[in-house]
Amino acid sequence: MINSLLNPYYLQIGMFVLINAILGISIYLTLATGQLSLGNAGFMSIGAYSSALLTIKLGLPVYLAIPTGGMASVLIALIIGFPALRLNGLYLAIATLGFGEVVRVIFLNLKITNGALGISGIPSLNVLTGNVLSTLGFADGFAGISLQQISNCAVLLILLVILVLLLFFTRRLGFSRVGRAFAAIKADETAAQAMGINTTYFKILAFILGAFIAGVAGGLSAHLTFYIGPKDFDYHRTVEILIFAVFGGSNLVWGPILGALLLTLLPEFLRAASDYRMMIYGAILVAMMAFRPLGLISEETVRFWRTKLGRRSSE
Amino acid sequence: MFWQQLVNGLTLGSTYSLIALGYTLIMGVLNIVNMAHGEIFMFGAFVGLLLVTHLKVNIFVAMLGAALTGAILGIILERVALRPLRRKAVSHLAPLISTIGVSIFLESVALKLFGPQSRDFPSSFTAAFEFGPMRISLVQIFILAVSFSLMLVLRFWLAKTKIGKALRATAENIETANLLGVNTNKIIVLTVSLASALGSVAGVLVGLSFNAVEPTMGITMGLKGLAVLILGGMGNITGAMLGGLILGIAEVFSVAYGNSSYRDAVAFGMIIVILFIRPQGLFGSRDQQGGK
Repeated sequence: MINSLLNPYYLQIGMFVLINAILGISIYLTLATGQLSLGNAGFMSIGAYSSALLTIKLGLPVYLAIPTGGMASVLIALIIGFPALRLNGLYLAIATLGFGEVVRVIFLNLKITNGALGISGIPSLNVLTGNVLSTLGFADGFAGISLQQISNCAVLLILLVILVLLLFFTRRLGFSRVGRAFAAIKADETAAQAMGINTTYFKILAFILGAFIAGVAGGLSAHLTFYIGPKDFDYHRTVEILIFAVFGGSNLVWGPILGALLLTLLPEFLRAASDYRMMIYGAILVAMMAFRPLGLISEETVRFWRTKLGRRSSE
Repeated sequence: MFWQQLVNGLTLGSTYSLIALGYTLIMGVLNIVNMAHGEIFMFGAFVGLLLVTHLKVNIFVAMLGAALTGAILGIILERVALRPLRRKAVSHLAPLISTIGVSIFLESVALKLFGPQSRDFPSSFTAAFEFGPMRISLVQIFILAVSFSLMLVLRFWLAKTKIGKALRATAENIETANLLGVNTNKIIVLTVSLASALGSVAGVLVGLSFNAVEPTMGITMGLKGLAVLILGGMGNITGAMLGGLILGIAEVFSVAYGNSSYRDAVAFGMIIVILFIRPQGLFGSRDQQGGK
């Protein structure tokens, strides 16, 4: 029973759900200030490539390489964010869209990234945790579960811990001075500025946090799939990340996570529909904007369910 | 070499100008960036290509067909993705996101209909003329002639005709125009379909000049149009025309004297530099900043 539940296919889907949920948090943070970044796939690719190259060429351990990849994304985000975020939100959308395409072109042409072929043989998290576990004496598995399954579960657990930490951080941020500044800017940028909030600073902060998380997610996904290529991080990937937030809702952090969960699982259950995935995504984007621009979960939904379930609302 | 590259750059740039005009018209009137413009451009190119290869019509009829398709797509776009958002107070990101939805939808429809491979655009003009050091092909002359005459007609139409004035009034202030008796809903539909028709004609011209039409050309060329939009100043018609030419020339020269793999990065580099030093665009005035 446990063996069939732990089959590699389910575990793999679980990992994708978690990675996508982390990406959902990354776009949520930028959207929390009312800014739209279309460069998340670009930041993801920077994180993925830096982390992969650092581990392969320099032999850096994975747990150092992934955050370094995130920091590389932050550096690039500063260069784009500073000029674009002084202006109205449209500029950031266009600049980041252009950025995503250019990063792809650069990775396609650089020698060190192996061009269109991409990088393969990236040290895999599964294998690494497997090695650690076998030195701990689980080489033959445990209670009838093979070593591979245990290490897969361990990776799943690591991803879950990262997601929970990020969630905790985002929730705490939301209640802090910074989070209130984000909300004020989202509600009305001019009014926020008049209240003495340094809007450019907070917009850049949100953008950088989003870029860092996207970079980390990119690094994690590189070490899960042990292959990356420029094609994995194109415009479609950006739209996919965007749709997590649009479908689930971008007012609360739970929205993008729900969106990531539903939209990662759906194509797996509806195999026939996966051929038309992009078409369906496009239709969802248009329909959501027309009928439910706040997404599936918004403050109102939460309030509605709170009163319905007879609990007093605390927020 | 220099003059030859200049002509090549002008030809490429004139198609960029046409694409950017579509963005600018919609930006000016509706204050939104139409992310689906690149895909409408790509559909125009495919319709032109199919008309030329399957119905064997001449290139002018093909362009007319592409323009009609573009206009119809524009009307559908306005109805489906823009009008529902205008009625209610939504965030300024909503039209951006919903046009991204349309763009993704159209791209995957094109992939299903036409396949992912790039197709040749058969051209009836193969002749070329020598002007001193330059060698100008008939295709280039055709592209230059069509795009410049379209731009001139558009300029004249906007400046002199009654509808053109109504369009400019709507761009200036939609509520006031409405109060003064302009049917702004009609003007908006007209603007979107006109912009899309221009984009589709540009698609045919780009197909002719690169001799290739593929579903992914929408995003690449759409991005160039957006770069021109920022370069020339948001909502600025003259800026779009000149900005397109500047980008075209800059790209051709960077390929001729630099590395051809990075030609698509030129547009992006320009966006970043412009945002740093002159965010209102080369031809924009201060108050246009941000297109507010």
